[in-house]
Amino acid sequence: MTSQTTIPATSGAFTGGIQMPKTVKVQALNHFFGEGELRKQALYENNLEVRRGEIVIMTGPSGSGKTTLLTLIGTLRTVQEGSLKVLGNELCGADRDLIVRIRKEMGFIFQAHNLFESLTAYQNVNMAAELVGLDPMIAEGRINSLLTRLGLGHRIHYKPKSLSGGQKQRVAIARGLVHKPKLILADEPTAALDEKSGREVVTLFQELARDEGCTIIMVTHDNRILDVADRIVNMVDGKIKSDVAVQETSVICEFLKEFPLFADLTPNTLAEVADQMMVHEAQSGEAIIRQGDAGDLFYLIRTGSVDVLINDGTGDQKVAELNQGQYFGEAALITDEPRNATIVAREPSVFYALGKDEFRAVLETSATFEEELRQALFRRQ
Amino acid sequence: MKSFGKTPLAWKNLTHDWRRLVVAICGIAFAVLLMFTQVGFQNALFDSQVKLIDDLEGDIFLISKAKFTLASEKRFPISRLNQARSCSGVQGAYPLYTELTTSVLRRMENGMGNRGFPLRSIGFYLDDPVFDLDAVNQHLLRLRSQGTALIDGKSKRSKFPFPYDDDDALAQEHVELADKQISLVGKFELGTDFAHDGNLVMSAENFAKFFPHRVRTGNPLDVVDIGIIDVLPDADVEEVRARIEQTIDKDVQVLTREKFRKDEIGFWDKSTPIGTIFMAGKIIGFIVGMVICYQVIYSDIADHMAEFATLKAMGYTARYFIFLILTEAILLAVVGFIPGSAVSAVMYSWLSEQTGLLMVMSAPSMLLVFILTIAMCVASGMLAVRKLLSADPASLF
Repeated sequence: MTSQTTIPATSGAFTGGIQMPKTVKVQALNHFFGEGELRKQALYENNLEVRRGEIVIMTGPSGSGKTTLLTLIGTLRTVQEGSLKVLGNELCGADRDLIVRIRKEMGFIFQAHNLFESLTAYQNVNMAAELVGLDPMIAEGRINSLLTRLGLGHRIHYKPKSLSGGQKQRVAIARGLVHKPKLILADEPTAALDEKSGREVVTLFQELARDEGCTIIMVTHDNRILDVADRIVNMVDGKIKSDVAVQETSVICEFLKEFPLFADLTPNTLAEVADQMMVHEAQSGEAIIRQGDAGDLFYLIRTGSVDVLINDGTGDQKVAELNQGQYFGEAALITDEPRNATIVAREPSVFYALGKDEFRAVLETSATFEEELRQALFRRQ
Repeated sequence: MKSFGKTPLAWKNLTHDWRRLVVAICGIAFAVLLMFTQVGFQNALFDSQVKLIDDLEGDIFLISKAKFTLASEKRFPISRLNQARSCSGVQGAYPLYTELTTSVLRRMENGMGNRGFPLRSIGFYLDDPVFDLDAVNQHLLRLRSQGTALIDGKSKRSKFPFPYDDDDALAQEHVELADKQISLVGKFELGTDFAHDGNLVMSAENFAKFFPHRVRTGNPLDVVDIGIIDVLPDADVEEVRARIEQTIDKDVQVLTREKFRKDEIGFWDKSTPIGTIFMAGKIIGFIVGMVICYQVIYSDIADHMAEFATLKAMGYTARYFIFLILTEAILLAVVGFIPGSAVSAVMYSWLSEQTGLLMVMSAPSMLLVFILTIAMCVASGMLAVRKLLSADPASLF
């Protein structure tokens, strides 16, 4: 049998078919504020995985617990219940030395710039470089190029007093990045910036994620920069309500659109379908479905390829070969008949599967396409 | 500007706001001045108490066992000096006579006696090498005449208003000591202290005439106040002292110069409120300085809580912050001490002129005040650092 997982297809765990190491792994995380009678739960059983090189945007109304989660990941609060692994270290019960070591591998960008008024932009940034023991020559080059990159080349030796709010924020960003952290935690990093410098900052984030494998988690309400997110995590009332790998979702949607029955679906509905799919893995030669079995799942091939075999009474005959982006298993769901073919993996493959009920629900939604279109047109006004 | 050293955050934070720095320096300098004043007065007063000892020749001193301070009029028989003289290593033993309670000096004006005041009369045999005072040794000839004495030019003016700067006028003054006429044939300088408002020196013979009632019967010079012993140049003072102590009757103390001096200062320090008063003064200066220093450091920390919390989030440890505040405290101490001690030096010379007290910025007292200043700043820094260590980086998000 194939190994069914409970990993949602849109979690991005199999982005590009490769599993990147996890930078952050949150499991069954609870958090409380206050003591005794006043004890109030802020986080409820949260699970989250963030992989190396991902840019995660956390959204949610204020008081939803996203900041609490961010400070927990940032080692700025003590983990009370559950498990939280950051950069391979369990934070629950971690000692001070370990926490200090982890902190040095992270970069913090706060909403307020928190620069020392007594130090120049260069010296403020250098405080971070010194801490990790960066070679002064290398540090100098990196500070200068970072500040120049952020449009402060002519202000390197200015004190914060002579810098504008946006310039100060960019100095703080340089301070958060200069030591090449493996994980960047940012709180509204672009809120104080104009469109152009905000864009420059997120482009820099993308480069760090792509070139250095830096993982970035930011809380933001700035929808100008939503496009850089690999994953959007939405929190409500202390729970992660949705956790979607944006790029992977769009890949799935592209694939699903090729399926004639889904061709009429709007992007919104497609994304919802993608959200309901689960990851399945199969080894080479493994049968994913067997002819004659009852059908309960619809499959989309994410990576790998399969053989379609039909037994006409004389033995299995290979009738077709399916590859990435193609699908199978829909017939039995539509007709409610047993599987009409056996599907065997040709190589180690990953599939995204949709349950029968969900599949049927989608087909019904499809019928309401016209209505959905009206809605879309109405919202446009 | 290129600097490859560690970013000097302590220095930068301290010097960033120059107004605050000036206030801080003034505050600490003020505390330094307070402490210097206390230390200076204390030293000056203690030095004054032992000025007589410092101005005497001799290596070993004999005093009555009952004599607890120079001003106490406990004496011992002159035969003890003869006993001491017989010990090997002793070059000479000389008596010194002092009188205070009956030694009332009265200035006569127009044939009328003013109110008299007691001062210390000191008698010695003019041939004995007793005084290490040039002014005394130069005037020995004048002291040979009957009824003569030298007066201490530093005697309290309010009680002894004589024309000290004019020897002739001084000699013209009509003065009585213990109701007998005396001529002041010159002056010397010894200085006042808590017990003595002035001094006279005279020959032992004159001394005996002014104070015949020192003893009930017999020669007034048979009871000695201080015995002064010279040790042979090649003898060990401590050995000789021990030998005298062995030989001599047990009603006298045999003291080296250091011990004599130390006991006298010890009396004023421990057995009178003076030591406590000055200690209190020093503690007040210390506390004033601590409060000022604490304010400066605390407000620096309070103004930069978010920045320090950011450093904490970055991975800076408590050790770094403690070191940072320690550095700030020591820098404050040093930059406050320099102007503080400069002002104190000016004040010392002014006070010396005004009071006649010996106010000296000696190396030990400077060291003492410097250490107190450092301790004061470090202590307040360590109190303030708790605020810094409470900085919560989680509050930054």
